[in-house]
This record gives sequence, structure tokens and C-alpha cells, in this order.
Amino acid sequence: MAPAGPAARSIATLWWVMLIGAVLIFGLVMILLGLSFRRRGAAADEARHIRVWIISLGLAFPAAVLLLLLAYGLVIGEQLLPRNNPEAVSVQAEARRWAWTFSYDARPERTTQNVLHIPAGRPVDVAVTSEDVIHSFWVPRLAGKIDAIPGHVNILRIEADQPGTYAGRSAEFSGGGYDGFSFTVIAHDAAGWDAFLMDGTE
Amino acid sequence: MSILERHRKLTAIWSSEPGFKGWFSTVNHTDLGRMFLVTAFFFFLVGGVLAMLIRAQLATPDSAFMGPEIYNQVFTMHGTIMMFLFAIPMFEGLAIYLLPKLLGTRDLAFPRLTAYGYWCYVFGGTMLLVSMFLGIAPDGGWFMYPPLTGAIYSPGINTDFWLIGITFVEISAIAAAVEITVSVLKFRAPGMSLDKMPIFAWYALVTALMILTGFPPLILGSVLLELERAFGLPFFQAELGGDSLLWQHLFWLFGHPEVYIIFLPAAGIISTVLPVMCRTTLLGYGWIVAAIVALAFLSFGLWVHHMFTTGIPHMGLAFFSAASTLVAVPTGVQIFAWIGTMWKGRPELRLPMLHILGFFVTFVIGGLTGVMVAVVPFDWQAHDTAFITAHLHYVLFGGFVFPILAGLYYWLPHFTGRKRFFRLGEVAFALIFTGFHVTFLAMHWVGLLGQRRRISTYQAEDGWTAINLISSIGGFVLAIGIAIVVIEVALHAVTANRGKRNPWKATTLEWAMMTPAPAYNFASLPHISSREPLNDDPDLAVRLARGEGYLGDSGPGGRRETLTVNASSGQPDYHVIYPGNTRLPVFMAAVTGLFFLSLLLKFYWITPLAVSGVAFLACRWVWTLGHRGDLPDQPVGHGVALPNSIAVDHGSGWWGSLFLLTANATFFGSLLFGFAFLWTVAPGWPPPALFEPSLLEMAAGLAAAAASTAAIRRAIRANRNGQTVMPSLVLAIAGALVLGAVIGSLMLRTPGPSAHAYGATLLVLGGYGLFHAALGALMAGFLAMRVRRGFTSPVRRAEFPIVRLWIDYLAVVGMLVLLAAHVPGFLT
Amino acid sequence: MKDILRIIIAPLVWLVTFTLVYGLHGVLCGHDLTTLMIGKIPVARVLLIAAYVFAALVQLALLAALHAPRLASRYSFVRFVSRATGWVGLGATLWTLFPVVTTSSCGLAM
Repeated sequence: MAPAGPAARSIATLWWVMLIGAVLIFGLVMILLGLSFRRRGAAADEARHIRVWIISLGLAFPAAVLLLLLAYGLVIGEQLLPRNNPEAVSVQAEARRWAWTFSYDARPERTTQNVLHIPAGRPVDVAVTSEDVIHSFWVPRLAGKIDAIPGHVNILRIEADQPGTYAGRSAEFSGGGYDGFSFTVIAHDAAGWDAFLMDGTE
Repeated sequence: MSILERHRKLTAIWSSEPGFKGWFSTVNHTDLGRMFLVTAFFFFLVGGVLAMLIRAQLATPDSAFMGPEIYNQVFTMHGTIMMFLFAIPMFEGLAIYLLPKLLGTRDLAFPRLTAYGYWCYVFGGTMLLVSMFLGIAPDGGWFMYPPLTGAIYSPGINTDFWLIGITFVEISAIAAAVEITVSVLKFRAPGMSLDKMPIFAWYALVTALMILTGFPPLILGSVLLELERAFGLPFFQAELGGDSLLWQHLFWLFGHPEVYIIFLPAAGIISTVLPVMCRTTLLGYGWIVAAIVALAFLSFGLWVHHMFTTGIPHMGLAFFSAASTLVAVPTGVQIFAWIGTMWKGRPELRLPMLHILGFFVTFVIGGLTGVMVAVVPFDWQAHDTAFITAHLHYVLFGGFVFPILAGLYYWLPHFTGRKRFFRLGEVAFALIFTGFHVTFLAMHWVGLLGQRRRISTYQAEDGWTAINLISSIGGFVLAIGIAIVVIEVALHAVTANRGKRNPWKATTLEWAMMTPAPAYNFASLPHISSREPLNDDPDLAVRLARGEGYLGDSGPGGRRETLTVNASSGQPDYHVIYPGNTRLPVFMAAVTGLFFLSLLLKFYWITPLAVSGVAFLACRWVWTLGHRGDLPDQPVGHGVALPNSIAVDHGSGWWGSLFLLTANATFFGSLLFGFAFLWTVAPGWPPPALFEPSLLEMAAGLAAAAASTAAIRRAIRANRNGQTVMPSLVLAIAGALVLGAVIGSLMLRTPGPSAHAYGATLLVLGGYGLFHAALGALMAGFLAMRVRRGFTSPVRRAEFPIVRLWIDYLAVVGMLVLLAAHVPGFLT
Repeated sequence: MKDILRIIIAPLVWLVTFTLVYGLHGVLCGHDLTTLMIGKIPVARVLLIAAYVFAALVQLALLAALHAPRLASRYSFVRFVSRATGWVGLGATLWTLFPVVTTSSCGLAM
């Protein structure tokens, strides 16, 4: 987990928040479990047990935590959606067993195989589809994944902060050649991106 | 009569045939429960060996241990076996063995159905095992996503083994679920009202109802995919109006409830065993019942959370993200109710308790990671990585295997009547617990580093080598722990070390009998006045053995008998005489297997023969029940006399039909959902040509449907008043046949079934309607034969309402099918 | 059987309304109806919120029925459990359909 784009970064933050919360809750449960083995005096009555254990700890506590978490998750989810942005670049990704073909709205005749070129520092909307079975488009350091489904076009927004090369993987089991089914994303600086669009070669 | 005489007499009535021949003819729940458990455990070991192969493969980078062809079969079969051939049958076996004992009765509602379900499971499981040994096992992953599993990308027979074999095994799950539902609702000791049921019965009831509504979508999906593969009907092909997302919806509509179907029985074990280990009672019984009902329903609203990356709009995802977080609340209620129970009592660290602690640690982690992946953006990263694999193993191993091991050690003295001699269990627990956490904590980690699930190998440069090796070592430690459990159980069964009758000082009824359990369970049935019958009366076992309860004097002609109660109040309802040992179930399962085999091997000429064979055997099955003369009410002791089950309106058969139809209606509802889904979502709609509607046909069909339900109602009235019922029954048959003919015409005129998903779906809708028309006609015809042969009278009326249920269902289905086919044509 | 029905009715109705609202949303998105405006009112959003309010009202009615002496069970245990699941139905409706108010309706909604 070394995020290199805004989407991957906010997901990474989400993960660390959830991990800390989970560890705390787990610790609480374990402490309560352990304390139950203590020797104790007279037992409290059933109604009190129900109030403490079932209503407070069983109902109210998880409900409060989960509501907060749900709201946080939905806010991040909204932020990650592809929205109108004049800066945004559109590219197409079509998967087949076992290769990706990328094409570019800015230069329609241009296609690349297994290497996706994007400008760094600008949001990129990748329109993902498949011509045979279900695949999934995933660049772990830039964003989450989206499936490539025959007959459907799904759009994922990715963005790389810095120019560089990022590993991409197909993350939906697709039969025999699945192991090595990967691709590369190359993020260019502004000059490099212009040069890529001008350049006629691979 | 002395205790011993009574025991001998009842054993003569109830026991199975001696030796291994008895396995094939037994219908006794204790025998079949044990057989289920042993078979399921066998499959657990097979699945475990496959898991070891996976870990061996992944232990090192660039592994040459298996190629992807073999590896894909191995992980597919590991998931399939553990889910379908281990977890569900394990629950069925436990419930079949325990429920009548917990509920204070002598057997389940339909003993022959128990046996039929068992044999369907064995034959279906064998089909899958055979495919594995021949190296042609399914290889598309346990959730079998098309188009990868369609005929184009998986041309071999591998996928067919999965679709057909699993559907065959599902029959056993549906059979067991009907059985369990009716048994919990009706087959209880007198006085056991809903609030006095042992908590395990609630879990079993809810789980069974979930199986009835959760499995049909998968069965439908399998049927559709097999039809596509075998006959080219395009349900999942985007270019012909199908949609692969339909499979995902159907699969996860089953797949998510499945997780809770597996977890709930295990939670039932915890709720039963934990209070005994803490010398107290369960905290918040009513709260827990409400929580499990809530859990059951919420779990049906989560299925899309397995599809967060399929491009469903964000609001859609948000609904399911919200439901997925909410489902953690009733789980939290249970967890804290258990911890509260421990605080209330004095927990003792005996072996079952160790496994319960193992459950707490593991399941709580699994639940917390589950909440994490319920949060949509995080799932976009974690989906389809080893993180998910690790999460689901925490949930399933923590939420099922640890509780099962706790239950195994808790009820082992009950299964065998012996006590443990060697103390291997504690060592085994330590190995299993350590091994498990090493394996799967490492797997979480490597998943976060980006390792995808289902890859057969990786490169050293990926940097995952050390973690995978640690994970594999943990896996082998775990396997050694399981092996020690097997050794201990085997030793336990062969050493003659008699134990006490109620070693844990439990308060539930299964301990109010000698162990191992006699074939008849209770020499007489108790009257229940609280949830802890053995607490109220520590001598209950002896008093029941003396015949002081209900049915203490064995009934008419030495038949197997029990009684049922009103579902809510626990008041005695009617008297039941069970069928005895028979090979009919195994025979019928074999013929059912022939049906599936003919589809698998494409010997289609055998298929109609097998179907007629099943129909014939089913008729024989039912024919053997009932009497040709009215029976007086049967005295059952304590001044109570009950009517026979054929002399009531709603007998066991009616209840069974009701719940079978619940499952059936879910199947049909899923089919209608699929139709609507394709119409609105799939690419390539509307279809090139709609079905040519016909007002005449539609009107005739609707009239026939109405006529047949009216006719069967008339027959019931006529029978009650002692008038002749034949004309009404003939009208009902005629109605079913006309409806069938109209639907048949619909199927013949369906436009291009192999050219577009529209025609294909209409054809399936028609086939479903036609099947029910034939079934309705057959049942009404069968009833007419029974009437002729004198099996019915104004008193012996139980068979009429059953046929009415099925005819009514046919009428509803027929109407919906006709409307779905004709109305769109009229509208355009 | 009626007692079992009392226990399951509220969550069952939740499941039905939840699925229907999800279906409604799917249809609205599938046919690009989310951008449709009548005057200044976004039709899709109003429809979804109306469905949300309706589902909540149905749950309230059920809860009232489960508390009504004439309709409640004879058994105190069933009364307790059915009212608890009644609250579950209402709570689940409010919780799981809340996104109709807050989130953007289709993936590309602006």
C-alpha cells in the first residue's frame, strides 16, 4: 500500500482509520471476555444484565459506530465518483483474454496494447469493457478496481500525482492465462503527454 | 412393564436392520444424522487436503508443483466442497440427529425424506468426486461466473459437473430444510410452546427457512446456465440479449444468505453449549430470537455487496453498504449476549469452551474485516484479493468450524456413550488455533500488498515470498491439528470407556435418555413446562423410561408413533404413525441420480424414463400412507386422545407442501426477477420480435386456472358433506390439462429461443408452467384413485387440502406465465 | 403459524420495500430519467424519497398493529419478539434506504 493518487490515498486513509477502530473494538471484546473468568461475588439480576450487555453493548454501541463508518464511507465514495471536470481526460480500456487494448479520446486513431498512457496530475476517466469474459481493471497504487463486463461500459476515475510507471492487474479470475494477466500505466508530465499524443509510434 | 421390557419392545419396533444393510433401509433420524455427519466430515477432510495442495503451490514463487489447469480445479473444488458438501450437510446432519431429541419427540416429520435427502447428497457428492479423480473437475472458481463458464470459454464437461452435481446436492438441502421446518413447528413434546423451545431449535428453524428461500435462486441460475451450455439458450451472453450480471445477482442472492445459513447453526451450538459451560442460562433468550430473525432477513438484502466493482450506480451500492453495516448489529447483540452469559455464570475452561473462545477471537476479527469490506471504497481496493480470502476464512472457520468442534466435543459423549480417554483434544485445539491465525493473518497482509486471489503463482520480485511461506506453514500446522482431532475421535469410538449419562450437567432434553441414544429416543414423551426440563426434574430421564409421559403404552399394532403439537401453544394436536424401514428412498435417489446423469452425459433418451421413474416411485411413496377405515381418536396418556394425522385438515403433508411451495415460489420469483432484469438492464433489448399474443389462448388458460381451483374447493366441500367428489376432481384435472395445453402452445410459438434471451426466458417460463400443470393433473388424478380405493372419507380428509395447495399454486403460476407472455404483445 | 407470521412480517416487508426501491432506482438509472426535471423538481429524486417515506410509513403502521391489543399475539413471548422485529423493520427501513436522500443517484450524476 503505497498510494500515488488521490483515490488510492483516501482509501488508504479509510483503511488506517478502520484498522485502528477494529483493533480497539477487538481489544474491548477480548478484555470483556477475559474479565468474565474473574471470581465474582453475588450476581446482578437478569434485567440489569440485559440492559448492560444487550441494549448498551449489543445494540447501541455497534449501531453508533457503524452509522459513523457508513457515513464516512459514503462521503469518500461520492468524492471518488467521476464528475464533470474540464481537466479530465477520457480513455477506453477493452479487455480480452489476456490482453488490454487502450484507446484515447484525444487521439482516436491511437491505440496501445497492455500499456496505458495518462497525464500525471489530471483526473483520467477510464471506460472499461470486455469482449469475452469478465475481467477487472485495477491499478492498486492509483485507485480501486472496476470490472470489465461484456456488454457493459463502466467508468473508473484514476489520477496519478507524479509522472511514473505503475503496475496494473486484471483482478477477476479469467481461466488459464490469469496469472500473468497484467498491464502497465505510464503517467507522463504535461510535455510527455503532448509528445505521446503527437507521436505516431507505440 | 419394567424399563428394560419397555426398551426391548420399543427397540424391536424402531430399530434398523442390523449390519451395513441397515444403512440402505434405515429411515431413523439418529442413524441418518450420524451418516450425514460422518459423510460431511469426510468431505471436510477432502476439502482440507485440497487446501493443503493450494498452500503447497503458493508456498514458493514460480512454483512448478501444479500447472494452472490443475490448480484451477483444485481451488474451485476446495470452495465447492467446503460450501456445499461440508458446511450445509454438517448442519443438516447435526439438526437431523439432535432436533427430535432436543424437542422431546421420537423422529422427524418425514423419516423417508431424511433418507432420500441423504442419498441425494451422497450420489451428488460422488459425482463431483469422480470428476476430480478423472481430472475433469470444475475449474471456473466456486462462484462460476459466466461467460467464463459458458460453452464458448469452458467447452469441457467440467462446468456441467458443477451445475448438475450441485443442483443434485441442493435437493438434499431443500429436503432437509422442509423436514426441519415442519419438525420444529409441529413435532415437539406437549407443552413446549414457542418460548420453551431450546434455542437451537430456533436457530435450526430460521436456518431452514433461509435454505428454502436462499437456495432456489442458485438452483435457477444453475438450470439457466446448464440450458445455455447444453441447448444454446442465451441467458448470459451479452450479444444475444443476455447478461452475465444476471448470474451474479442470482448467485449472490443465494451466496450471501448462505454465509448466514452456515453461521446460524454454529451460533446455535454456541448458544446451547456456552451456558452449560458457564453453569447458567442463556442471557436474553427473546432478544436472541429477535436477533436471529432480523439477521435472517437482513442477510437477504446484502447480495450486491459482492458486486461493488461491477459498475452499479453509487446509490445502489450505498443501499447495500448500509444493509451490510446494519447486519453487524444483530450479530453484535448475539456476541454481547454470550459475553453477558459468561459474566452471569461461572465459565469453566473445558474443551468445548476452548473452542468457543477460539470462535470468539476468530469470528470477531472476521466480523470486523467484514465491516471494512462493507464500506464501498475500501472494497474497491480489497475486492478479489487475498484479503477477501482471508476475511471469508475468518468468518467461516471462526463462525463455523470452531463452533462445530465445540459441538463435536460437547455431544461426543452423547453420540457414543463414552468419555474421552486420551487428552489429545487440548493439543489439537492449540495447533488448530495457532495454525489458523498464522495462515490467515498472513493472508490478510499479502492481500493488502496486492496479491490477487486465485493466482496459481507469483514472482519473487513481487515480494510476497516470505509471507506466503509463513502462511503455508501455518496451514500445515492447522492440518496436523485437524488430524489429531480425527485420531482422537477414532480412538474414542474404539475404546470402551463408559461415561456418565449427562456428563456436562446440561438441562436440555437430549440428555434425558440413555447414551448412545436408543432408536426411539424417549420411551414416553415429557410434558414441558420450562426451557430447562432437566433442571425442573433431574429424574426426568428415569420417569420417561418408565413410561410415565405421553405415549407410554406403545400404540396400534406395534407401529412407530409420535404426536404433534400446535405450533404456538404446544397443545397436543394429532397422532402420527410413521412408516418403517424401507429401501424406497435410496432407490428413488438412485433414479433421481439417473436423471441428472443422463443430462450430464447427454443421454437425453434416458431423461424421460428417469422422470417417469421418479414420478412412479413418488406415487408409490405416498400410496403406502393412510388407512381404508376411519380410526377412533388415539389415547396418548394423561387423559388426552388425539385424531390420526389423516383425520385433520392440516396434516404433516400439508405443512411440508406449504414450505416446499415456499421454496418453489422463490424459484419462480427469481425467474420473474431475471426476466424483468434482462428486460430493463441487459444490452440488446427490446428483442427483435415479441411473442404473438392470442386473446383466445390467454382467456382459455386463465379460465382453466380458475376452474381447477374452484373445482378442488368444491371437491373438499363435497367430501366433507359425504357427497361424491369425482366430478369435481375430473374438472380439476381437465382444468390443469387445458392450462398445460395453452402453455404448451406458448412454448411452441416462442420466437427464436436460441437467438435472443427473450425467447429463451419465455421458453423456461413456459416449461415451468407446463411442469406444474402436469404435476397438478397427476396429483388430482392420484387423489381420484385414492378416493376410489376408499382411502378417504369425510373424516379421513387430509389429502384434499394438500392437492388444493398445489392446484392453487399451479393456477397462480399459470396465470403469471400467460400474462408475462401475452400482455407485452398486446401493449405494442 | 399466525405467531410466526407476526414475528417475520416487519422484516419481510422491509425486504420487499428495500428490493422495490433498489429496483425503482435501477429503472430510473437505466432509462436516464435521473436528469429529468419538471419545473425545478428533480423527478427521480422526488420519486425515490416518496418511496422512502412510504416504506417508513408502512413500517410504522405494522409496528402500531403489533402493539394493538386486538392484533397482537396471545403469548407475551411472541408479543415481545414480534415487537422487537417490528422495530427492526422500521430501523432497517430508515437505515438502509437513507442513501436516497444523500448520495448521487447514478454513477455519473452531476
